[in-house]
Amino acid sequence: MKDKILIIIIIILALTLRFWQLGDIPPSPNWDEVSLGYNAYSILETGRDEFGSRFPLILRSFDDYKPAFYAYLSIPFIKFFGLNTFSIRLPSAVFGVIAVFIAYLIIKELIKEEQGAKSLSSYLPHLVCFLLAVSSWHIQFSRVAFEANVALTFNLLGLYFFLKGLLKRSFFFLSVFFFSLSICLYQSEKVFVPIFLFILILLYRKELVSLKKKIIWPILLLFALTLPFYWTTFTTPNALLRAKGVSIFADQTKFLAKTAERIERDNKEHNILGKVFDNRRITYALAIADSYFSHFNLNWLFVTGDLARHQAPNMGHLSLWELPFLFLGIYSLVFYFFPRRVKFLIVLWFFTAPIPAAITTGVPHPVRTLNFLPTFQILTALGIVWFALFIQKINLNRIIKMAIGILFMGAFIFNFLFYLDMYFVQYNYFNSEYWQYGYKETVSYVKQIEKDYKQIIVGNDPPLEQSYMFFLFFSKYDPGQYLKEGGTKSGGFAEENKFAKYTFRSINWEKETRSSEYLFVGSSKEIPSSARILKTINYLNGQPAIYVAVGG
Amino acid sequence: MSGKNVLLVLILVTAFFLRFYNLGQNPPSLTWDEAAWGYNAYSLGIDGRDEFGRFLPVDYLESFGDYKPPVYAYLTILPVKLFGLNEFAVRFASAFFGGLTIAVTYFLCRELFRKAKNDYGLKVSLLASLFLALSPWHINLSRAAFEANIASFFIVLGVFLFLKAINGRNWLLIFSGLSFALSLYTFNTARIVSPLLIIIMSAVFFKKLFSMKKEVILAVIIAVILSIPFFRFMITPQAKLRFHEVNIFSDLSIIERTNQEMENDKKLTGLDSTPLWSRIIHNRRFAYFQEYLKHYFDNLSPSFLFIKGDGNPKFSTQDVGQLYIWDLPFLIIGFLVLIREKRGYWWLIPVWLIIGIMPAAAARETPHALRIETVLPVFQIIIAVGVIKIIILINQHKLLSRYNKIAFTAIYFTLFVNFLYYLHGYYNHYPFEYSEQWQYGYKEAIQYVKSHEDKYDQIIVTTELGRPYIYFLFYLKENPKIYRESAFFEREVFGFVKVNQFKKFIFSRSIMQKSSLLGRKLFIDVPRSIPDNAKVLETFKSLNNKPVLVAFEI
Repeated sequence: MKDKILIIIIIILALTLRFWQLGDIPPSPNWDEVSLGYNAYSILETGRDEFGSRFPLILRSFDDYKPAFYAYLSIPFIKFFGLNTFSIRLPSAVFGVIAVFIAYLIIKELIKEEQGAKSLSSYLPHLVCFLLAVSSWHIQFSRVAFEANVALTFNLLGLYFFLKGLLKRSFFFLSVFFFSLSICLYQSEKVFVPIFLFILILLYRKELVSLKKKIIWPILLLFALTLPFYWTTFTTPNALLRAKGVSIFADQTKFLAKTAERIERDNKEHNILGKVFDNRRITYALAIADSYFSHFNLNWLFVTGDLARHQAPNMGHLSLWELPFLFLGIYSLVFYFFPRRVKFLIVLWFFTAPIPAAITTGVPHPVRTLNFLPTFQILTALGIVWFALFIQKINLNRIIKMAIGILFMGAFIFNFLFYLDMYFVQYNYFNSEYWQYGYKETVSYVKQIEKDYKQIIVGNDPPLEQSYMFFLFFSKYDPGQYLKEGGTKSGGFAEENKFAKYTFRSINWEKETRSSEYLFVGSSKEIPSSARILKTINYLNGQPAIYVAVGG
Repeated sequence: MSGKNVLLVLILVTAFFLRFYNLGQNPPSLTWDEAAWGYNAYSLGIDGRDEFGRFLPVDYLESFGDYKPPVYAYLTILPVKLFGLNEFAVRFASAFFGGLTIAVTYFLCRELFRKAKNDYGLKVSLLASLFLALSPWHINLSRAAFEANIASFFIVLGVFLFLKAINGRNWLLIFSGLSFALSLYTFNTARIVSPLLIIIMSAVFFKKLFSMKKEVILAVIIAVILSIPFFRFMITPQAKLRFHEVNIFSDLSIIERTNQEMENDKKLTGLDSTPLWSRIIHNRRFAYFQEYLKHYFDNLSPSFLFIKGDGNPKFSTQDVGQLYIWDLPFLIIGFLVLIREKRGYWWLIPVWLIIGIMPAAAARETPHALRIETVLPVFQIIIAVGVIKIIILINQHKLLSRYNKIAFTAIYFTLFVNFLYYLHGYYNHYPFEYSEQWQYGYKEAIQYVKSHEDKYDQIIVTTELGRPYIYFLFYLKENPKIYRESAFFEREVFGFVKVNQFKKFIFSRSIMQKSSLLGRKLFIDVPRSIPDNAKVLETFKSLNNKPVLVAFEI
């Protein structure tokens, strides 16, 4: 009973942290979010995406070929709450809360194998659950429409039902089902899930072998569900192109220039050793190793983080107070807690998480490595439990023990308050420009006055890239009408797009037709302050974001 | 000679060979700091005065206004006397003490693990000294005149002598104090690391030290007396200026940021003044603490340690980390095992590691292989502990123990491949790729000037590549007395010293302004600044064939 109350409290906490002001923080949907949202809306209304493909498995979107699953997930929410930022983020938030609960169930399964050490480690599931509930990393991506976050939850469900399946075979079907969904949802999972499954099979081979033939059906189901997705990814040339585009193999010449120079020098000197060492395969291997290890940089994890869109300002992805417990946790996992098999499961899981990101550029990347969660929380929780056991055991004055406890709580509360303030108060102020803030106000203003103009020209150069999608999204432009007008022709960068009176292209102020029938919407880079500006929309830190100006 | 001695001698021979082979030629040329060490040593060796005429300076050498701690110059007097004023002699002290550090590391580990059972201590000692001998970090820094490398030696020696004193040879404490005191005069970061190490070791061994009062008092007196000039220098404005320039706490943007954050909180709550909780979480001390941590963790970044090394090509070849990638698993395992098994004075190793990075993290430029060199040989000791654990585990494993020979060969062979990869890069590519970073071209240009100087009344040299005067002094082996009498100095606001002229050599950023001078003139400038009417006499190229300096007339 006490157990249940505790978990309910943690879930409510998780829920609050993920749903509170969901539509307003982050301050604006980014282009991926509006694209997922409008495509979902379009499929809901017409059965086709913005390009007119019928019930697509992959959304062409901005020529980045997104897996379409998230869009389908958000359809019921859009139907119910309308097309807005809140409803498009809702699936991610819901699955985020589910993940917190599943983490609890997984650890509960895992400690079943733990003999002895009852007292404190029986609270381990609650602790992991709590740490994931308040994890800034998990909250960050639960509050944005990121398919990676949903995929993570499916992976956790897959793992949970796998562990359950060891006792009751039919759960394997569920396990396989969730793992397959995860593969359909997000590109990184196409690398992560097979490795993770391989690890599970390796560690639990004895149980699996004893099941003999009974295991064949789940395996067949796995292949039946996932092969089409591998197939479409590898046979859609453009989708493959995108995958290559973000991989480290993309920019060949610059990357290999130094190696080429070296090989030339080796050849001149007839240096055989050099021909082996200055091989481009070694260059690639080192680059991959570098990307992989960048995810273990303490700065990235605890102090600086990376892109503004990926964490609250001046924070890493984990909390600073967790740092000593993370190290204690690693130590205690190796030497104290859990039987060997579970130790291996956690360690291998931990080291598999960054593999998909390792072959891409733009690392360290917290979204592509979301599968790290909740291993960091497990390690930290182990550290805390180990530390608590240690304090309990040693001979110390009770007051000193109390003082240590208060110090610990103090550090946590300070850090948590700092995070809450940084995320819920400071984040919008400092980083609204990185969230392409300003479109919502702009669209509602332009809509009021659009009838007075013959044509409305909207810029699409940075920072207003892909502006057409924002206008479609915020004006809830009828998808049927949009497709009738031709829909999107190309999702590429800075391509011209059109619907109704609107044209989206780069603005060259000097050369534009200056007529009072023309309305221009652009950034301060495109529209000079000398123009007849009707309205200025500012970023939340007061800097101008978007100008609406009349041509003449 | 017993087996262990043969191994130690082999390791030392390897270490000295790796540090002395081709020492004068690779790195391909001298940095201005190296040239300054050489010329100051040369000058001290002639009349006991530094380049500016200070007699036997013990607190600092003014040099370029960077107030160098003076020990390296004194250590270089003898090599310069023996081998002449050249690259080899300048680098000799660093390479020699680098080699000696390997030997001291061996004895240090013997003391650290003196109480461990069987021959555990011996194994760690041999492996740690071997790993330090092969370390790219230590080899790179031993092959150029880096005073940090000497400071590391004194610190390792100081710790070794301290432990030896604790373990019965009480009188060695005096030499430990001496060694630590010398480190203060060798490199800046030692000024923080040495005192902290002494304080912690003294606290832990308090009881033991209490029982050897005589030696402790003597050691303290000697160390204090030796430190007086140092403390007197540290309170001067020059010393503070230098610190202020490089430290992170003078960064005002952090205060602006925290003020804005409090402003936002105020607006949110609608109060007239910033609420207390906001003032607590946006305390600027915490913000600076985060900044400090950031610079601290920079020095532990995997890319720096295992893949690319320090971004400054003077400290790293850019294609091997400060450690080998091979070291990584053994480092992790070693760390866990060290703490788990608690052998010998195991606690000193993590403490040393934490302290060793502390001073460097207060500076803006991080990670910095030179400023944290005082953590060596801590990494190598941990790696040795890890390797030994793996060997034990293989021997205990049912299946693997049958093939243990193959397993060990595979482990050491991988290290050897890593090592070869580093050496190949260091000797076959490094000098070509980074000769400009080593100010390549000055020597060639000056040799040209030397053989033609009689023809000219003035020789005008650009300062574009930095501090040319010191190279002229060095390669012309200029008599210090004549130099001091004929030189024109200029001291800038930030304390930097510029030499604008000595004898007929004139140094200037835009040398054409000096062309109105009378007489026949030879100009030395960077290729992009040559005027159209120049008559080019000679072009000096870097090792990858880029022109760096040009000699011309007008």
